[in-house]
Amino acid sequence: MSDTKKLVIVVSEGTFDKGMMAMMIANTAASMGMEVHMFFSFFGLNLLKKGAKPKLAGIYRLFTGTFVKRMANVGVGNFSDQLTMALDLGVNLYGCSTTMELMNVTQDKMVDGVKVLGAAGFLDLAADSDMQYFIG
Amino acid sequence: MVEVLDAKGLMCPMPIVQLAKKFKIMKVGDEIELLATDVGSKADVPAWCQRTGNELVEAREENGVYIYRIKKLK
Repeated sequence: MSDTKKLVIVVSEGTFDKGMMAMMIANTAASMGMEVHMFFSFFGLNLLKKGAKPKLAGIYRLFTGTFVKRMANVGVGNFSDQLTMALDLGVNLYGCSTTMELMNVTQDKMVDGVKVLGAAGFLDLAADSDMQYFIG
Repeated sequence: MVEVLDAKGLMCPMPIVQLAKKFKIMKVGDEIELLATDVGSKADVPAWCQRTGNELVEAREENGVYIYRIKKLK
């Protein structure tokens, strides 16, 4: 492709399903040769913390283990596998600077390779993108 | 003999992720045969080929396994 398609994704929730959904879309896009930028704000930021093991929302959190097992059986793996895959595929991961301040998350608490970005910086990327997704 | 990439049992998006990884290390002109059982691959693989500018030489189904012959063009 002569013109690389650009996808930007905002992730504002930190539950297993939303995190996985965002990561799987991002990893597919990167595998299709697209340039991908993911901006994690509010509870979404928790997904970037080292050793993050997100759970399903509400009462469904009790079934997280079953989900993870079934997803591992079909090769998708757990959240951490998808996160590692994203970094491997060159997906750009950004922590929202304001959320980091609000939640006392410093860069060393997040997985290596995560960059810090403000809203204007992210909008600058989004303004020149072809697709914009909001997972929240 | 064409090299086989076995993605049977893997669900979306893993066959595509594996395919992309494989293509990174292949040479232009090389072909592979991708095996998948994910029914989603019937749409995913042609879409991937078109997006990435590679050629889907053949797509067929044998006993519930989808077989795609793909040639690296770039």
